[in-house]
Amino acid sequence: MRLRIYRFDPDVDERPRMQDYDVALRHTDRMLLDVLVRLKEIDDSLSFRRSCREGVCGSDAMNINGRNGLACIQPVSELKEPVTLRPLPGFPVVRDLIVDMTQFFAHYHSIRPYVIDDRPMPERERLQSPEERERLNGLYECILCACCSAFCPSYWWNPDKFIGPAGLLQAWRFITDSRDTARAERLAYLDDVYRLYRCRTIMNCTEVCPKGLSPSHAIEQIRTALVKESS
Amino acid sequence: MARHSTGDAARAAPKFLNLAAIRFPVGAIASILHRISGIVLVLALPLLASALGESLSGPEGFRAVLEGATRSWYAPLLLVGVWALVHHIFAGVRHLLMDVGIGSRLAPARASAFVSIAAGVVAAVVWLALWAVR
Amino acid sequence: MRVFSGQRAWLLQRFSALAILVLLVLGAFTLAGADGSAYERWHALATSTHGSVLIVAFFVSMGLHAWIGVRDVVLDYVHPLALRLPLLAVVAFVLVAVQIRVAMILMGAS
Repeated sequence: MRLRIYRFDPDVDERPRMQDYDVALRHTDRMLLDVLVRLKEIDDSLSFRRSCREGVCGSDAMNINGRNGLACIQPVSELKEPVTLRPLPGFPVVRDLIVDMTQFFAHYHSIRPYVIDDRPMPERERLQSPEERERLNGLYECILCACCSAFCPSYWWNPDKFIGPAGLLQAWRFITDSRDTARAERLAYLDDVYRLYRCRTIMNCTEVCPKGLSPSHAIEQIRTALVKESS
Repeated sequence: MARHSTGDAARAAPKFLNLAAIRFPVGAIASILHRISGIVLVLALPLLASALGESLSGPEGFRAVLEGATRSWYAPLLLVGVWALVHHIFAGVRHLLMDVGIGSRLAPARASAFVSIAAGVVAAVVWLALWAVR
Repeated sequence: MRVFSGQRAWLLQRFSALAILVLLVLGAFTLAGADGSAYERWHALATSTHGSVLIVAFFVSMGLHAWIGVRDVVLDYVHPLALRLPLLAVVAFVLVAVQIRVAMILMGAS
């Protein structure tokens, strides 16, 4: 299989470059991550993050033939050669396919990703009906891989001020959680020309989410909630 | 300048943002065209105001505006304005509907994006065809 | 400019868009239902009270819609304040000038 991979070593390179590889695959190499691991036999300097190898940790998010995805669940059979791999767009490159996720996580923290209830602790659990729990489906499954935010043009142009699809989806996850009591504050925090309203409903996020989630739909629900809140 | 200290590395960190190397979905195309058509329309607004004045200055002024739009040397160039108006309205209505939850799922959103792009192109072609057979 | 803050600007953008669409349709119907040549119908619309209100409302809606749209474009791409402020000022000036021009045209038409 032929690949073209983005290479950048900050200790050696002045600027990034593309490197060509040609690797013989075994029949057991089913996913792109398998290919990358096999490439390490040829070129051990190639660097990328990976962990669970089953699409739940989000470590190996990268730009694959022009679209963001997870290398570990990207079947090799679906890829056109030469397979072009680049780091997530718009994120500072640490080395090769490894990007700096600091800003991304900062946005996640800024939306307070935890249930807020400062009342005295209840005697028993905070109960949720099946319908209330149902509202978290399509939101809690986010693995924070950043495929969405790194494919969002609005996030590219203002990565420091726009929260981005991942952060906004998580914001909605807590706004819509029946156990949370800080709904009004959460919505007020988002009501800002940058934080939420850089979103133009381009929907690139939903197109590339490897978990099949829809950040654009979550954002639509935040906007509706804001309108309802103010009327 | 091959060696960087750790302090320099953060400042010098490159980003991959080569838009030509990114494979954009149809919705993204519709979106950027929506933005471009919007800018075209803003630039056309003062011209529209001028045309308003001319068209109300008398029957001759009115005819001059119509002749300008259909028979002048710049009439075919107005296809840019026609494309911009039609695309912006189609893409805009698409957004209005998605805002209230109509067609905001991926499949219908892709379809409506394609329709918006096609509508603008068709309008421009029709304009050019009408001008050609005037 | 708190006037055009987050949700408010987003809603105004939508409302002005709807207003423009409605006004275009109203204008088209008025012209279609009137008597006389094209020029006579147009002139009648522009000099009537309800017609000139339609035209002013159209340009005001266009101006607001354009302002919010251009501001979004500038906020996305133009980051240095030294570029951003003059650019927005020029756009605001042109949009206001268009409103004044339209008002003067309609007042002068008879």
